[in-house]
Amino acid sequence: MGYLEVEGVAKSFGPAKVLSDVSLALEEGEFVSLLGPSGCGKTTLLRIVAGFEEPDRGTVRLAGTEITAEPPAKRQMGMVFQAYSLFPNMTAEENIRFGLKVRRVDANEQAERAQELLELVGLMQHRGKYPHQLSGGQQQRVALARALAIRPLALLLDEPLSALDAKVRVQLREEIRRIQQETKVTTIFVTHDQEEALSISDRVVVMHQGQLSQVGTPAAIYGEPDNIFVARFVGAVAELPAEVVDGTEGIVELFGRKVRAARAQGMAAGTRIYFLLRPETVRVGPEGANGGLDGTIAGRTFFGALTSLRIELADGHGSVTTAMPSDQAGELTPGARVSVSWADDAPRILRRE
Amino acid sequence: MRKRRRSETGPKIGLVLIGLYFLVPLVSTGAFSFWEGGNRYGLRAYVALVHEQQLWQSLGLSLRLAIETILVGLVILVPAVFWMNLRVQRLRALFDFVSVLPFVVPPIALVAGLTALYRGPSWFVGTANYLVVPYVILALPYTYRALEVGMRALDLRTLTEAAQSVGAGWLSIMFRVIVPNLSTALIGAALLTIAIVMGEFTFANILLFNTFAVYINYVGQTAATEAAALTLLSFLITWLAMLGVLLTGRGQVQIGGAR
Ligand SMILES: Nc1ncnc2c1ncn2[C@@H]1O[C@H](COP(=O)(O)OP(=O)(O)O)[C@@H](O)[C@H]1O
Ligand SMILES: [Mg+2]
Repeated sequence: MGYLEVEGVAKSFGPAKVLSDVSLALEEGEFVSLLGPSGCGKTTLLRIVAGFEEPDRGTVRLAGTEITAEPPAKRQMGMVFQAYSLFPNMTAEENIRFGLKVRRVDANEQAERAQELLELVGLMQHRGKYPHQLSGGQQQRVALARALAIRPLALLLDEPLSALDAKVRVQLREEIRRIQQETKVTTIFVTHDQEEALSISDRVVVMHQGQLSQVGTPAAIYGEPDNIFVARFVGAVAELPAEVVDGTEGIVELFGRKVRAARAQGMAAGTRIYFLLRPETVRVGPEGANGGLDGTIAGRTFFGALTSLRIELADGHGSVTTAMPSDQAGELTPGARVSVSWADDAPRILRRE
Repeated sequence: MRKRRRSETGPKIGLVLIGLYFLVPLVSTGAFSFWEGGNRYGLRAYVALVHEQQLWQSLGLSLRLAIETILVGLVILVPAVFWMNLRVQRLRALFDFVSVLPFVVPPIALVAGLTALYRGPSWFVGTANYLVVPYVILALPYTYRALEVGMRALDLRTLTEAAQSVGAGWLSIMFRVIVPNLSTALIGAALLTIAIVMGEFTFANILLFNTFAVYINYVGQTAATEAAALTLLSFLITWLAMLGVLLTGRGQVQIGGAR
């Protein structure tokens, strides 16, 4: 039994079904990300947990108590929003104290708590500034501090970083993780950015069209996708159509040749599958190398430390991307003919309808 | 170059003409207010006015009505416009329509309607307080517009939800979050209301209350130079109110609209 539980939740807006039968349980102190493309229902699910939307069906429980019908102000959950949400008429410190003030917490205690939080988010010297005098990143820190000031039973973050520029985004997400680990507050973090979700979560929930597509650790979501949507959405992947030939030995037929694939073991012969290759498992060798698929380099993108290559396979068999340290990519320029190979246990196998 | 200069003189002449159109009557009124008969000029009209008990009474009454009108109008409209923006945005068109009705319905029709409804407790119906009803209606277009603009500039939903999530109830949200961020809009609405109420004649005259505008009219029929002095005074009040609207509006721009 979890600490924060969503069970069988469904929600429609008019004819549009936004969530169907969503169930999810968080352990106390856990950091869980909701990851999915825009419009898949992440915000709606978070708002149901926060109490801003009422589910059509299903329940929300917090620490063993059902709170489905509780108004948001009674739930004691801190929330950080995508849009800047600080009260413009209050300084950073007054914003942080607001939740305590409306709870009629003693003034000395308010001041102490605000001090603690200003230190936690590193904004001590900006305590007296108004929101319009703070940068976007600083505003979101204040918003985080305001949410934490009430010692929330759960912390809900709805794409808090999406309005910030890349560098601040990375800094702040690491800080959010640090603060979460220090305060041990149970957290749901909504994002459409897979890197964000993978890098700071205990578990990631991938959502797709109002349903949970897969729930697991970041490594499991990336390494062992349950379905083709997750494989495509999280990280880059080459999908090659194939068919199982021998399930006991783990042999599949790929473009007319028999290839070993450890993960095809146990599947019935004749099963149509996707043969999935992550970029970092793809090895590039000279054309015609033993056992490889031949192809031509069609694109090359420099990312600094890494260089990514797109290799168009021969005979129109699709393309594969690979990422390698830039200093090893010297001769591999567009137009070069190469072969592509991988370790037997590298390909992920998913059933293809 | 020359062509352009010539095209600029046209509007300038227009502006000067319009300026004269407004200024000449004012200056003449001003000059007239200092006339003491023959070719003597002085402050006699003003001195006489200052000693006139009725002036102060009517001015006081109009100011009191203005304040009551502001309070009643805001108490009704702030929550209504807030609710519309937060929850029922589809009613915006209806709100917009209702808010301009006072422009469409002639005041005289309103008076007739109100007199037909001349009922209620005597502290209300028997006194000038009754005027607050039509005045709130008269001020509605301005108050509504000011509030609507002010609230649209805020992300009401996010602010409200942020406040709720840390435990604030509706009263806290209203008085600690929404109203303080609307101060410019509220001051604007209040000053416009003052300007309207100070100058309103039709209702007060027909319903037989001695407000400032009614008093000006009465003086105009009995003492011409004093009426001119009064007219200037009432202009001054209106202008101060308008200046206030302009200044507070400008203040908002300077702080980036954040407060
Ligand atoms: N209040 C609402 N009324 C109508 N449709 C809504 C409302 N809120 C969200 N939706 C719709 O529900 C879907 C999911 O929205 P949302 O939960 O915000 O997705 P996400 O946060 O994953 O981008 C979208 O198609 C959106 O248009
Ligand atoms: Mg969203």
